[in-house]
Amino acid sequence: MLELQRNVIFGQFVETGSFIHRMDARVKIAATFVLIVATFFINDFRGFAVVLPLLVVIGVVSKIPIGYVLRGSRFFLAFLVFILTFQVLFYPGDVPESSYLWRWGILSVSTVGLHTAGIIALRVILLYYVTTMLMLTTSLVDLTNGLELIFGPLQRLRVPVNELVLVFVIAIKFVPIFIEEMERLARAQTARGVPFDEGGAITRARRIGRLLVPIFISGFARADTLTIAMNTRSYRGGRYRTKFRQMRASPSDWLVLALIVVWMVLAWMV
Amino acid sequence: MQSDGSPPVIELKGFSHTYLEGTPRASEAVSDISLRIARGERVGIVGATESGKSTVVDSFAHLLRLGPGQVFYEGEDVAAPGYDKRRLRREIGIVFQQPDSQIIEDVVGADVAFGPTAAGLSAAETRERVEESLNTLGLPYSDYRLRYIHALSGGQRRRVAIAGVLAMHTPVLVLDEPMAGLDPRGRKELLELLIKLQQERELTLVVCSASLADASLLCDRFIVLDRGTVVMDAPVREVLHEADRLAELDITLPEPVVGAREMRKLFPDFPTDLLTEDELESELLERLGTA
Repeated sequence: MLELQRNVIFGQFVETGSFIHRMDARVKIAATFVLIVATFFINDFRGFAVVLPLLVVIGVVSKIPIGYVLRGSRFFLAFLVFILTFQVLFYPGDVPESSYLWRWGILSVSTVGLHTAGIIALRVILLYYVTTMLMLTTSLVDLTNGLELIFGPLQRLRVPVNELVLVFVIAIKFVPIFIEEMERLARAQTARGVPFDEGGAITRARRIGRLLVPIFISGFARADTLTIAMNTRSYRGGRYRTKFRQMRASPSDWLVLALIVVWMVLAWMV
Repeated sequence: MQSDGSPPVIELKGFSHTYLEGTPRASEAVSDISLRIARGERVGIVGATESGKSTVVDSFAHLLRLGPGQVFYEGEDVAAPGYDKRRLRREIGIVFQQPDSQIIEDVVGADVAFGPTAAGLSAAETRERVEESLNTLGLPYSDYRLRYIHALSGGQRRRVAIAGVLAMHTPVLVLDEPMAGLDPRGRKELLELLIKLQQERELTLVVCSASLADASLLCDRFIVLDRGTVVMDAPVREVLHEADRLAELDITLPEPVVGAREMRKLFPDFPTDLLTEDELESELLERLGTA
């Protein structure tokens, strides 16, 4: 049966009480940012080889089962393979004649193309991994507060920081809700004779298309309800809000951030 | 329960289900559930929220991974390799808790026609079934056939969902919280309709609810669930007899039973296995007469 929630973990939060879970959200966001920026600076396989142990350490310390993360990334990885196949086949740049492995009309496979696709794949996977880990280990409340505090100074420049953060967090929060909803719809439609649990990949994909309209309708309904709920509770942007719990970063948090920065600089330099 | 020796229509043997099993978010919904439902029976599956009612219902039509335990339809294991799941789903009609989730098409007529068409009925037969189902549910065919479903009220959408299932003429009809969100008149109409349908078509009827109020007039037998296990399985009056225990399980009692529990303060031996207000009244008169 269609069990989407197993295959898409984006936006989920799993409490394991690990060191990473207890870290200050601002530091975690900063560390994620450092990792994302590093992704764009590192442009050879050796650099990524240096990064890999760090990712393993993050995975182990977070106590989130690696099998769960991998299974939850199946759709993402399948999509990545699909996209990169095109990247290789239609590789545009100047390719020296000697690097072609296969050619047919405008389609080709070259070592240069493969190399570029490999680097892109590693970048996207790294990007995906660190953001997923951030969300798996940080509750939405912490994420919101962390982002608001980090971008707080921009408020002086009249940037509506709280509103933007709220929109961002709600968007993420809706992903698991939609996935659950899709699962429920698929189950109900299966009961009525649309067999979601049969057929090949293409037939299944086409059937999922049937769920899009009801998902959109319920999405708008949910957004409406949320707006009314916020209004009735007198929500008025963040500037007027006070925090009950103050965030505090401990020395060990800063140490972790420093370690990540050093590690990334090393990965960039090798 | 089964006099002629034929297998029960639906049977669960030691059925357990854990959502998202093997992940950090796993949650066990039901464990080791065994039950039998005979042909033509009217069974209520009752329990508070999170007692596992919907999971049990989903297992009937093999809408879940069937983990430990087995589910049988007419004596056949539905998880057996090569078992025809499509046929199973044409035999068991389920009306889900949220009617919107099982609406497939935009327009009333098209949606009700979905099941019969998928089952391979001719256009004429399908049209007949759609007309019959919509009329039965008080949504006149000529008036509602071309209306957009999302523009209907909640109660009307529920009726469309029920019509869509009825049109499939399934021998087994399962309704998950059918009364939720209906006003008193709507509930009364639906109750009468279900009793009538059950008798006319000799349906096997399964109704899930957290309330015994309507179910006690509709069912012959109650299966009471609590946190994923069966805690009672007995004829309606026998279950109502245990009114205090039901209240402890957070199950809404029918009004006559609520009245009877109050009466117990005056008459400690006052029975609670009452279905109607008339029964409550006569019990009360009897006691007042002797006092």
